[in-house]
Amino acid sequence: MDVIEEIFRDQQAAGETAVAVSEEGSRVLRARLEQILDGLREDCGDVTGAIVSGVDGMAWAQRLPAGFDQNRFAAMSSALLALSDNLVKEAGEGSPRKVLIEGEGGNVFLMHAGDQLLLTIFTRADSNLGMSLAHANHAVEQIARLMAKCDD
Amino acid sequence: MNGMAQEKIIFTGPVGAGKTSAIAAISDVPPVRTDVACRGEERAIKDTTTVAMDYSYIQLDDGRRVHLYGTPGQARFDFMWELLTRNGLGLVLLINNDHPEPLRQLDFYLDAFADFIRQTGVVIGVTRMGIADRARLDDYQARLFERGQVYPVFEIDGRSGDDVRILVQALLAVLTI
Repeated sequence: MDVIEEIFRDQQAAGETAVAVSEEGSRVLRARLEQILDGLREDCGDVTGAIVSGVDGMAWAQRLPAGFDQNRFAAMSSALLALSDNLVKEAGEGSPRKVLIEGEGGNVFLMHAGDQLLLTIFTRADSNLGMSLAHANHAVEQIARLMAKCDD
Repeated sequence: MNGMAQEKIIFTGPVGAGKTSAIAAISDVPPVRTDVACRGEERAIKDTTTVAMDYSYIQLDDGRRVHLYGTPGQARFDFMWELLTRNGLGLVLLINNDHPEPLRQLDFYLDAFADFIRQTGVVIGVTRMGIADRARLDDYQARLFERGQVYPVFEIDGRSGDDVRILVQALLAVLTI
């Protein structure tokens, strides 16, 4: 059994909700999320930064360029995605998959990663959009799988 | 002013003060809400929290339509405070009296929105007064006096449409002075 499962099993035995209950648990979880973000950047050279945050706007793990304030990016990501969710739902177009922002100097993707987290990715302006999105989807799946394991 | 000009009021205040409920209590249509499950310390206060904004509108007795925007409470969403107050008419500040230090929260939000309040106006609604008697309306008035400010302060039930309408009417009255 790997360490993360052990930690969450202990927490659940204590009747706590999984994830970020103990300091050790959140440290290990952050490390796992950072690994996923590192993998994303290695696999996709167009990714210039990424952050995983809670739907409530708290930063969980990040690989952002120097000078980016993770707390602000986490909060802005959750606000933007929450509003986008409402827009899509109110238009009767089901559940939102992702938000794409095309900037002059680069692109931003916002995606849900499981129920509790969301992933924000920054890519170069001249990047291959389809390729970046495929890598982003892969990272989202990894995060969702990790979280599902924690919730079991 | 152009065709897009709108009259809007902004509701703000700390987590759990009742901003989302207050807007829902008086709005003519189901509000746009962006509440999500929260965790950590905020979880102790309530299960969900607003992360972008609440939005709705009401028609006043004189036929005017006033748009209502509610901000997130947490300071990490202060970029929304700036966005939502742009071109606003005035501020409704809700303070949850069932908090260890409600007067510090009063100070915090009055300071955070100081520029907007200076340009427009504010009314203060104190919620959950009956549940915990940490501070009385006199204490709020005294704190405002210390700050050299005179603003209307009301005890309200944030879920009561009548109470919230009084706040809105008071704000509009303050703004016309």
